[in-house]
Amino acid sequence: MLRKRYVTVRPPFVNTMSNNCHFFFAGNLYARFRARVIFVTLRFAFDRQTLPFHTDFYVAGAHCHLSTNSAGILQSVSRWRTPHLADSRSFEMEIIVDSRLDTAVKRRAYFRGNGHLVFGFLSSGSFVTYDLLRKYVRAVLSTEAARDDSFWSALLIPITIGILGATVGVVPLHCACLERNGEGLLIAGDSGVGKSTLTAALTQRGFALIGDDWTYFSKEQSTVVAHGLFSPIKLLPDAVQFFRELRELTPAISLNGELAYEVDPARFAGSTVKNISRPSRIFFLERTSGRGCDFVPRPSRSTREFFEQNAERLPDELSDAKTLRTTVIQALSTFPSWVLHTGESPQRTSEAIDHFILENKYATD
Amino acid sequence: MQPIEFSHYSDPLDLLRRFIQTPMKATYRIDGARVGVETNDCTLLPELPLDDDPTKPCALEWKLIRDADSPGLLEPPMFLTSGTLTVLAMGTACLIGFDHEARKLFGFIGTDIDALTFQEYLIPFLCRMTKDVLSGDPVGCFVSWSHDSAHV
Repeated sequence: MLRKRYVTVRPPFVNTMSNNCHFFFAGNLYARFRARVIFVTLRFAFDRQTLPFHTDFYVAGAHCHLSTNSAGILQSVSRWRTPHLADSRSFEMEIIVDSRLDTAVKRRAYFRGNGHLVFGFLSSGSFVTYDLLRKYVRAVLSTEAARDDSFWSALLIPITIGILGATVGVVPLHCACLERNGEGLLIAGDSGVGKSTLTAALTQRGFALIGDDWTYFSKEQSTVVAHGLFSPIKLLPDAVQFFRELRELTPAISLNGELAYEVDPARFAGSTVKNISRPSRIFFLERTSGRGCDFVPRPSRSTREFFEQNAERLPDELSDAKTLRTTVIQALSTFPSWVLHTGESPQRTSEAIDHFILENKYATD
Repeated sequence: MQPIEFSHYSDPLDLLRRFIQTPMKATYRIDGARVGVETNDCTLLPELPLDDDPTKPCALEWKLIRDADSPGLLEPPMFLTSGTLTVLAMGTACLIGFDHEARKLFGFIGTDIDALTFQEYLIPFLCRMTKDVLSGDPVGCFVSWSHDSAHV
């Protein structure tokens, strides 16, 4: 057995170990020496006996059956008990809450994967594994993380849906989604082009927010449904030049390591936050050096290529997920789409979108 | 020993690093079974007896990836076990996943873990996990380790 075995080691081996190991040296230190290595081991076994509490919830149209050893978690997921959709697919989530993780090393969220398996550390000292073929999520959480609402809404649920994605019928795409008067619109574009500042400006004009950085799409019969996860809007520090309200806030390191403001749209702009919409048009944002806003129709093929080229690479063993994503992108590419060239501020650009939608509506009426 | 110089992997559409190429391949004999190992770093090829009989299929596969962006040293092991999967995490420097049914093990090893540590410490771990899976008791060893650690 390794932890009680005597192993022959040389000095470099000792140098590479962390302070969390305990060494007991013996033998002749002038020649090779022997060390006894004892590790403090955490072991978590996921089985029905250890997870007596159960609940069901729906997130982004996917049905999750949750089993846990902590009754307190049932409260944390209560906000996700939204109505389910007819075509929703299921996944199992098993969570062990353990106070020993409260003292675990805090680190940035860190994930790695191979094929259908994905796992990683969450910033709270917690750890999560995903089995995309069997549709299982298993996590060990610190007690602090388990009862923290922001941990669920800003970390665990978005990461879970983002990773499971099309394997549970939900296709994550890099775009924002907003809605007004029952009409959803998508804001797409390359990273750094200003989607989030435009999204924030549109919420200030009364648009309801569904998703800022990522929107999650499912197919309900023949229509495409966009889902949001109540996630905050992420604004980079330079957005303060457009939004004076940000001066009262302090930016923090976000999930991807960027320094950013994460603002609740309801508090930031008094905006409504929704978790579902049916989008009907797409704007592709492009910055220009000139003044003004210009709307140029974008061909369907170009829309499809944009989303396909910006989607996460999936391994061959997730072929069903690939097929669903292609179907959703194909459906989105049939929506009326425009390239929006703008050299204006987010507020002026949002105003131009507002007018364009109104004119477009009258034109089609 | 100096840390191994290893290039950073950058693919914005592969944040989970599923598609890191592992061109170095070898086949070993572990506990009487053929185990295929593939990696992107020759120092991660185990110092174990090679099996050069190409006529037999591998009973099990290991995929070991040297990851330049997995920082830190080894931390106390944490095991997550279920009926189909065992995960061993020793900090971000060492993450191992083992699908018992598919008989595939994969691991990300940070560049701060030198070859000696890998060969003398991690390889015995991987061999033990492999033997337990092949013997049909994939979580047996972890149960005994957990019991023992209670007395530390």
